[in-house]
This record gives sequence, structure tokens and C-alpha cells, in this order.
Amino acid sequence: MINVTVCFHSYFKDLAGAAQTTEALPLGSTAADLLKRLHQRFPPLLAMNNSTLVAVGVEYQGRSYVLRDGDEVSLFPPVQGG
Amino acid sequence: MAMKFRSSRRCREGKGDFRFQISDFRFQISDLRMQISGMKRELAITTEVIDEAALLRQRALPDDMGAVVCFLGVVRGTEENRTIRAIEYEAFQKMAVHQFHQLFDEMEQRWPVASVRLAHRIGVVPVREPSLWVEVIAPHRSEAFAACQWLIDEMKRVVPIWKKPLA
Repeated sequence: MINVTVCFHSYFKDLAGAAQTTEALPLGSTAADLLKRLHQRFPPLLAMNNSTLVAVGVEYQGRSYVLRDGDEVSLFPPVQGG
Repeated sequence: MAMKFRSSRRCREGKGDFRFQISDFRFQISDLRMQISGMKRELAITTEVIDEAALLRQRALPDDMGAVVCFLGVVRGTEENRTIRAIEYEAFQKMAVHQFHQLFDEMEQRWPVASVRLAHRIGVVPVREPSLWVEVIAPHRSEAFAACQWLIDEMKRVVPIWKKPLA
């Protein structure tokens, strides 16, 4: 098993009702697997699935990214700076 | 919450020999390396008011540069046809700094830009106050305009900053 930290940003914090959580996943799990698990725990996030952006550390990652133990995953909506 | 970051790409990538060994002199050394190795860059993601006059006073213009493009983004009084009083900006600061510097790296490769300075305000920014200030200095106007436009477009695509209108 691996353990990852998940941080929610912008209004994803409101949808999840939390700024941060942790998940334990089987070895070899991907970002897509993590999202499925989070959608079960935080159903309001499911409606935003298509526009959800995923980062690990400070880099964007795709849904096929294979998670590693200790990863800090961030989930957020499209960005809107300026 | 405020963060200011100023360094050369080589220093940020840890290619310098002394960044961590002589920490007291880190910023002096990085300034020196900027002059030697490439585009000057300054970034501030800050809750403080953007002081445009102070930023203009701090401008350093090399003799061989002929174009300075400045952009000031200001909070409008309407958002999607509704009157607002302010916009609240939120940043994932660590990633925002990283993404900005990746954009600066790419900008340096694409255009002969001598300097980029960017300030993005976060927190509550009232209507008519600036949320973004960008300055690009280049030899000629075409590359200065193009680089500045590209930087802002890319910022809106990849830098993790979000806004929430406040009625």
C-alpha cells in the first residue's frame, strides 16, 4: 500500500468540505484510481471530474500518473489568474 | 502572506556551486549570475497593494534595450453582468512560483528579453485596483509585445491562481 496526501484548492475545498485529506491505495495506483476513490468519499467533486486538474508536488500530471508513497497530490479547477 | 523570488535559472536548478554552502550570500550571488547569464526576472505574489509608481522607479534599463511593455490588470466593477465590489484571489503559492518560472524560462528561449518583472496580488482586491502588473524589456517592440502577451496568456492557462467575485 502507499499513502498520499491530497490538497484541495479554490472551490474544491468547499465541494470536499476539507482542505486536505489522506488516502491509502494499492501499489501501482494511478491518479485516476485516486480520483475514483475521492469521488466516492466526496461525491460533489464528481460533477467537476472533466475539468479537474491534477498536480503532484508543483507539476501537472495526467490521470495515468502512477502514484508513489508520500506523494502530495493537489486537485483544483481550471486556473483564472490575472 | 508575501513571497518574492529573484534568481537566475541556473541558480534555481541548483547548478550553482555555492547556493546552499554560503547561504548568507545567496542573493548577492544570484544577482551577479543574472547579469552574467541571462534574462533578469522578478516575481512577487503578494497580498500587498501593487505600487506601480515604485515599480517604475525600480526599473533598470540596459543601454541596448529599446522597448518596455507594461501591462496593468485592474479589477473591473462587473463580472458576468453583475456588479461586484472586489475579487478575492487565491494561489497555490509554491506551484504558482514554479509555474511562473517555467514560463520565464520558455520566454527567455523564445524571445531576446532582457528583463521580466511580474507582480500578482492575491487576497481581496477592490474594484479599480490592480491585480496584475507585468513589465517586459526587450530590444524591439515586436518581441516585447509578443512576449508580454504570451506570458499573460500562458499564466491564465497554467499558473494556479483562482478568483472569486465578491458582491
